Amino acid sequence: MAGITLAVPSKGRLEELTREWFADNGLTITRPGGARSYLGAIEGLPDVTVRFFPASEIARELIRGTIDFGVTGRDLIHETSESGPASVAFAKPLGFGAADVVVAVPDAWIDVTHMHDLADVASDFRSRHGRWLRIATKYITITRQHFAKAGIAEYRIVESLGATEAAPASGVADIIVDITTTGSTLTANALRVLEDGTLLQSEACLLVSRTAGWTPERRALLDAVLSRLDAAIDF
Amino acid sequence: MTAAAALRRTALEDLVEAQGATRATPPLLLPADPYFDLAGEEFGRRLLLTTAATGAEYCLRPDFTLPIVADYIANGVGEPAAFSYLGPIFRQRETGPAEFDQAGIELLAQPDGDVALDQVLTFARAALDLFGVSPSIHLGGVGLFESLLAQADMPAPWRPRIRHRFGHTEALDRLLTRLESAPELPRAEQPSRDAMVEDITEQMVAAGLSLSDGRTPAEIADRYLEQQALDAAQIPPATLKLLRDYLAISGPALQSLTRIESLARAARIDLAPALKSIRHHLDNLGEASVTFDASFSPRLDYYTGIVFEMTGPRCEVLASGGQYDRLLERLGAVAPIAASGCSVWVDRLEAEAA
Repeated sequence: MAGITLAVPSKGRLEELTREWFADNGLTITRPGGARSYLGAIEGLPDVTVRFFPASEIARELIRGTIDFGVTGRDLIHETSESGPASVAFAKPLGFGAADVVVAVPDAWIDVTHMHDLADVASDFRSRHGRWLRIATKYITITRQHFAKAGIAEYRIVESLGATEAAPASGVADIIVDITTTGSTLTANALRVLEDGTLLQSEACLLVSRTAGWTPERRALLDAVLSRLDAAIDF
Repeated sequence: MTAAAALRRTALEDLVEAQGATRATPPLLLPADPYFDLAGEEFGRRLLLTTAATGAEYCLRPDFTLPIVADYIANGVGEPAAFSYLGPIFRQRETGPAEFDQAGIELLAQPDGDVALDQVLTFARAALDLFGVSPSIHLGGVGLFESLLAQADMPAPWRPRIRHRFGHTEALDRLLTRLESAPELPRAEQPSRDAMVEDITEQMVAAGLSLSDGRTPAEIADRYLEQQALDAAQIPPATLKLLRDYLAISGPALQSLTRIESLARAARIDLAPALKSIRHHLDNLGEASVTFDASFSPRLDYYTGIVFEMTGPRCEVLASGGQYDRLLERLGAVAPIAASGCSVWVDRLEAEAA
């Protein structure tokens, strides 16, 4: 294939902000078929195909190398695969979509303020309650990585694909790992972020796949687009 | 497979058969839950999982120990038993295929733990010998550290906190650093336990949390108060230094043990029984290159006495095992039952030999 493919989030605020950001940098992304069409273009750049994907699929396809560059959240790159961050190059943070992946515990756990408290609680949770400490999250990879680093092994993950902040009250889990921007949802659910409980600071980024099979021609096309966006990569 | 490799394989089969043990052949497809229950998410991430139409989760056999021991417990514990195995296991690895062979033995409820460990070490060395590998042997003393910890001068609640981090060098280092730099805080006036329990109960009810299903208000209040007490009741600097000095000991086994003895003598701590057992095994290992690393332990709290790893010229672990007297309890046995064993990484051995 001679051209290159740009993946853009397919809906919502993320799509709007991404298209605004490209427009601010002088590139107009068009979506001729409207919101129900998933194919687009950049005006004046016929060699660039634009595809609209859900943000999590953009992360996956960048890592696999089936799309060349795209916009998605840093959190999704880390979550999709342990080798995710190594499979892509971060060309530029876009200055929106900022959010933190955090560990939050019930407010009532007044004795737990840091990850090392959680390590203590997890270590004898099973002997006290006959089951493991349960963590509700959709960030399974990130949770496993960071808990291993913190020396916490005694827990079980309960996969939660939405309304994770409700899991402690509904009895599904004891604590959560979730993404938050202002923390107000957590507060409203009587949850508190641990003082050293920020696992990842995420934001929307322009990313380039390292695995996409770069020929000199395609690379030249990419570099031309990146330079118009004032972005650069290190490979 | 080359003819030489086939011969090695046959010799290994013979060795596994010659252990005077029952040959164990657990199913390839096993329920995944017991593995998560025993080893947590850390090990769980390496399982190859599949889901039945009912939603039940299964994994491809990731090790032999758990199904062997679970089966033993299900058939009524008590009698000494020995099992040996050789066959494929499945784990997600950074390098190498996810399917590879392991061989090993499990010795359960044996009357003499030292004799059992001798057989385990002898088996592992014989297996490595078949592939022409004379290994470096690394020993670790879980029992030795537990014995040191039990006698070292410190407020009791710190002991499980330190024990829990044994084997995770960074986490233990962070805890010791925190303890070393802890300032002398004047103790703030604490509310009464009753008032705290009441306060926490109110918070939990308001948040819609169950008061009985997870952590209870009393448990939270107790740990809070304990934590406050611990912040005031520091570990004596001499004990912290003892722990640091002890954990830093690593090197040729005899030298290491001598250093541990002099540390213990200076601190008036009696480690003689645990040290004697390690020396006994050292004698049996004879000429082999043996190191003792005071901080070495698997990150699984059912290991108890002596643990070991054998590495080859490429520094890959070729055999690992030890004593794990708490494993059977963890899997449902009602009393502690002695257990020891090891596994041998057949694919790595073949790579060394080829």
